Amino acid sequence: MRIDIAGQEILVLGAPTPVSEAAVTALCANGAVATGASPRIVLVSLPLLPVPEVDIRATLAEAEARTLEMAESTAGGRVVFLLPAVAGLPMRRHPDFSAAMAGALATMRTLAMRCGPAVLVNAVGAGAIGAPLVAGDAAMLGHASVGRPGRIDEVTAAVLLFADPANSYTTGQMLSVDGGWSAGYGRSF
Amino acid sequence: MRVDLGGRVAIVTGAAGTIGRAIARRLHESGARVVVADIDAAGAGAVADTLPGSLAARIDITDEASISEGMAAVLDHFGTVDILVNNAGVNSFAHRVNIDAYPREEWDRITSIDLDGLYLMSRAALAPMLAGGGGRVINIASVVGLAAMRLQSPFVAAKAGIIHLTRSMALELGPRGVLTNAIAPGSVLSDGTRSLFYAADGTFAGRAAEFMAHVPAGRPGTAEEIAEVALFLASPAASYVNGQVLAVDGGWTAGYTI
Repeated sequence: MRIDIAGQEILVLGAPTPVSEAAVTALCANGAVATGASPRIVLVSLPLLPVPEVDIRATLAEAEARTLEMAESTAGGRVVFLLPAVAGLPMRRHPDFSAAMAGALATMRTLAMRCGPAVLVNAVGAGAIGAPLVAGDAAMLGHASVGRPGRIDEVTAAVLLFADPANSYTTGQMLSVDGGWSAGYGRSF
Repeated sequence: MRVDLGGRVAIVTGAAGTIGRAIARRLHESGARVVVADIDAAGAGAVADTLPGSLAARIDITDEASISEGMAAVLDHFGTVDILVNNAGVNSFAHRVNIDAYPREEWDRITSIDLDGLYLMSRAALAPMLAGGGGRVINIASVVGLAAMRLQSPFVAAKAGIIHLTRSMALELGPRGVLTNAIAPGSVLSDGTRSLFYAADGTFAGRAAEFMAHVPAGRPGTAEEIAEVALFLASPAASYVNGQVLAVDGGWTAGYTI
């Protein structure tokens, strides 16, 4: 999959993860530049592995500020939140993490409404990704109908979709890359 | 985006219409062997004539005999099916009334095409797809299946049905190698809807400006913008995306823009 983003600058907010690093690599492989002075593509990197306590307020505040700045510029741009899939479907075993990420998802959606049409804001929801896991929880695999963990490149493909200039009418959406985990009850019982 | 569909066989239903035609063209540009399926044989033929190597097929998705005949032609010509885009659907502009006044005949007509027809077409196409080891199903739903609107209850119900059917199909077919996802288009410009949105001078017509104030993109979408997402879902890059519904609606369903 190739997209035409030659020369577009990337800015990464939040703590890097293996997925965000791979996303930057994939974007640069398509012509983007990993410097953020005048970003056209902002990646908002949130924790993808569940942790008992998480504070993402600073990252979300910076994402808000940067997205509003982009909306005021003539060039506009794209913002892609890298979220865990539990942002859209909470897990009982990760209550605080699920709630925090649901807040990040709501932030994404409100930014899309506030900053369109200049900036398109979307999210990728990572399910159980990698071996060992770099995102999600092994418990997801029992309900992921594809029957395997995903690969990092399968997540970065969705990032490319949202950065693609030809994908120009999608904003305020989260696409989960989770093998069907969030579709419903994949387990037979 | 540029992807290589490597000669995969893709059936697009309703492909004589605006969105279906754009999807068929985009898949064809990306290397698919495309079946331009439509109840309108002449319309399908006209589209197929612009896509070298494609096949026009007259398929009425409400008629099992028509589906069987069309699928036989597809298999005779291409030998397999890898991708099914369930795009065919209708709405009614003739009966904009509340549910308590909705005519039974029109309810049956719309749901039989939009929901029952999608089931019948999927069942027929899945047989060769599963026999071939897997594939992709892309269901074209609508934002009204996510956020209900007034005065079009059968369309709303059918599209909501498609969205949840997409999920159950994903659960059932994922272990068998078939990934199922849906696109929920928002307002899309077509030959039929252009005059509803735009006056001759290019400004919004009637109450379109008021409506578009609720859409962050501030404009209706194009069929090509829907086709771009369909291409992604059909591509090898989307190999861990299953049971998802992606609204391509300019942000209409992101929330209330109030």
